[in-house]
Amino acid sequence: MLCALPALPAFAQSEGLYGPVAENAVRGGRLNMGLLVEPPGLDPFHQAADARIRITVLVYQGLFYESPSGEAVPLLAESYEVSDDNLVYTIKLRQGVKFHNGAEMTAEDVAYSYNYIRNPENGSPGAGDFSMISDIKAVDPTTVEITLSEPNASLPMTLGNKYGAVVPAGYFDDEAAKNLMNSESVGTGPFKLVEFVPNSHIVLDRNEDYWEEGAPYLDGIDFAILPNSASMLVALRNQRVDLVALTRPQDVQQVQQVEGLEIERWPSLGQASVDLGSETKPLDDVRVRQAISLAVDKEEVMKASIGDFGQVLGTIPAGLQERWGLPLDQVPMQGPDIEAAKKLLEEAGLGNGFTLTLTTINGYDWMDPAAVTLREQLAKIGVTVDIQRVDLGVWINNFRSSQMGFTFNDWASQPDPNLLFYRHFHKKPEGADFRNWNNDEASALLDEGRATSNPEERREIYNKFQTILAETVPTIMLFSPDHITVRSQRVQNYVQHPTGWYYGLARAYLSD
Amino acid sequence: MGKYLVKRLAASLLTAFLASMLVFLLVRLVPGDVVAQMMGQAGGETAANALREFFGLDQPIYMQYLAWLMKVLQGDLGVSWTRGMPVTTMIGQAFLVTLEIGLLTLLVATIIGVPLGILAGIYEGRPLDTAIQSFNILGLAAPVFWVGLMLLVAVSSLFSWSPPLRYVPPTRSLGDNLAILALPILSLGLLQVAAYSQFVRQNVVSALHQEYVRTAIAKGVPVRIIFFKHILRNVLIPIITFMGLILIQILGGVVIIESLFALPGLGRLLLTAIETRDYPVLQGALLIVVVAAMVVNLLVDLAYRLIDPRVRVS
Repeated sequence: MLCALPALPAFAQSEGLYGPVAENAVRGGRLNMGLLVEPPGLDPFHQAADARIRITVLVYQGLFYESPSGEAVPLLAESYEVSDDNLVYTIKLRQGVKFHNGAEMTAEDVAYSYNYIRNPENGSPGAGDFSMISDIKAVDPTTVEITLSEPNASLPMTLGNKYGAVVPAGYFDDEAAKNLMNSESVGTGPFKLVEFVPNSHIVLDRNEDYWEEGAPYLDGIDFAILPNSASMLVALRNQRVDLVALTRPQDVQQVQQVEGLEIERWPSLGQASVDLGSETKPLDDVRVRQAISLAVDKEEVMKASIGDFGQVLGTIPAGLQERWGLPLDQVPMQGPDIEAAKKLLEEAGLGNGFTLTLTTINGYDWMDPAAVTLREQLAKIGVTVDIQRVDLGVWINNFRSSQMGFTFNDWASQPDPNLLFYRHFHKKPEGADFRNWNNDEASALLDEGRATSNPEERREIYNKFQTILAETVPTIMLFSPDHITVRSQRVQNYVQHPTGWYYGLARAYLSD
Repeated sequence: MGKYLVKRLAASLLTAFLASMLVFLLVRLVPGDVVAQMMGQAGGETAANALREFFGLDQPIYMQYLAWLMKVLQGDLGVSWTRGMPVTTMIGQAFLVTLEIGLLTLLVATIIGVPLGILAGIYEGRPLDTAIQSFNILGLAAPVFWVGLMLLVAVSSLFSWSPPLRYVPPTRSLGDNLAILALPILSLGLLQVAAYSQFVRQNVVSALHQEYVRTAIAKGVPVRIIFFKHILRNVLIPIITFMGLILIQILGGVVIIESLFALPGLGRLLLTAIETRDYPVLQGALLIVVVAAMVVNLLVDLAYRLIDPRVRVS
């Protein structure tokens, strides 16, 4: 017997895909959005950078949409059924969906696209996320059947919009296609790519054939790439830019008093954290990691880094806390508790202190003040911190080879605990275990959480996992920086998605 | 002359070859590659290796170099790894933007800097000279970045105006083009005006102290004739030499200004190519810069030989 799942969760009346449906939306007009970071490419299959995803969610679509509350809502899918053993997903596709090139989307295209991305030989950074899929086939033009090798409750979320998308079958048969996605638009999304001029601008136009009636409201979006925040603020003041997402609190303060500009804060799925790689001595001793965790005053680090524009974390990013987080008052090993920390160091035979090198990454503004604050905090328990600043390329190399040592990290995931935790914290070879944590109990819980679809049971399992995470400290999650958007008053109905991706542009409109 | 030209060309080719090898190796010394950048914190090793194979990064470096060299010799600089565009197109577009900024800045610097320098030289030691020199010191000391930012903020708060964000080539609309470039050129120009006028002033002062000028003054030759016939003519030659130096300085400052004003020029192209480890763009752009410098040097040398008989080779 198949258990049918409802096509749409019980949304608030006005909540639609990508953002709230506007009641009196004005159609037309072009919105100017400023980008501080240029996407290093617009290919959803081969490019992992967040700056890419923010834009491509408007052009390309997967089968599901990651709703801000953490549900996978059918997008190009219409509904789906799961077999009793939780291994076979039968997905009914939305009908009447057209690619930007005019062709009708069919089950063949869906099967092709996901088969392409899940094959690691095709070089997608997302391939690992799809490794639990053993088969995808088109049953009929509007039905796709996905078979898993083991149950995985986050399959729908994985079929979202972070990696991959549905593109016409055979698209990548042409080797050159890997390079064409910066100039071609072959998605199904509400906007089409018109032009991407590196170091200058990106132009998107409304997809006139978009499948959802009435959406989007704008005629188009012009992204101006301006890598300098001082220039961006001047452009905002002079209405060269209607909307921008800012990250530095000092930038926000500069436009706070400007008339006609609205500043808004949104919860985020991002996290600023300190990672403690067990390959680095003496971090291999759990007592040392615990002592560091107890010495850290997260509130103080956040204040120093981003002021009040964020939320202090326990063991999960702010956007996931309510649904999946271990209640903050139950998180073990939270500081500051200097006495307890010192005692642990003495037990570890390091009562006289030791020296640690803390790595920060060039270009991440919050890390510099955070590093200085952390150095002061750890000095209180006799740990001397040397700060080492490295280039992102160097840092990624260390990270990927599990040689991260003691470092700041800045990352985000989709709103799902399995997608957040599994790869980062499961033992090798199933996970990547970047921090050499090598924790059997935690890995078993991650397996169990992934296979469980009952939300209450899942929550229990992930709470246990988070308790172990906090107790044995492979990472210390510090805070989630809020997403901060600044918009001119003519921009209406823009809602920032917790991922930081610009879904909301599909629901934004311009007054007048 | 013909023999000399052949010799110089052969030497240039050898230099270009060595430079291309150096450039190729240097860009690969920067840790992390385009695949690590594309993968970020995600992706497994199989996928990463598949991409390395696609880009040819799995080959030994000398093989990669030979493959690249073969294509370069056919005039093909390859395709950008992150943008999918031909490198020659990208460099061509970016180069025109930077060249326009450079030439216009040079023009502005010459038009303002030379008269200022002449005035300061003629009025040596007087208040006007002091005023101009004070301005020069300020101009030489202020960093380009700071000047650009201050101009941007000042113009914005005084006139509630800031330059449009999307670059428009002069062929499409000269007015829009100049609206976009006015502030960047002024920011870059300030330093060059100062350097220029300081240089010209020194030349004028030293010319004024030459005996033939003093003789002319003593003979009662009209000041205008002394100035145009005796001073300006002697000062013009070093000024023209100085132009080359100024142009090179401008191209150095242009990287910063292009980022500040969102201009898609060569400096920003290089910067993004370094950030994304886009080797084809990086190698292509650096090679073009090296070759361009060599061509300019060669032309200068040749011109020198044509003009000045004393350095003519037999």
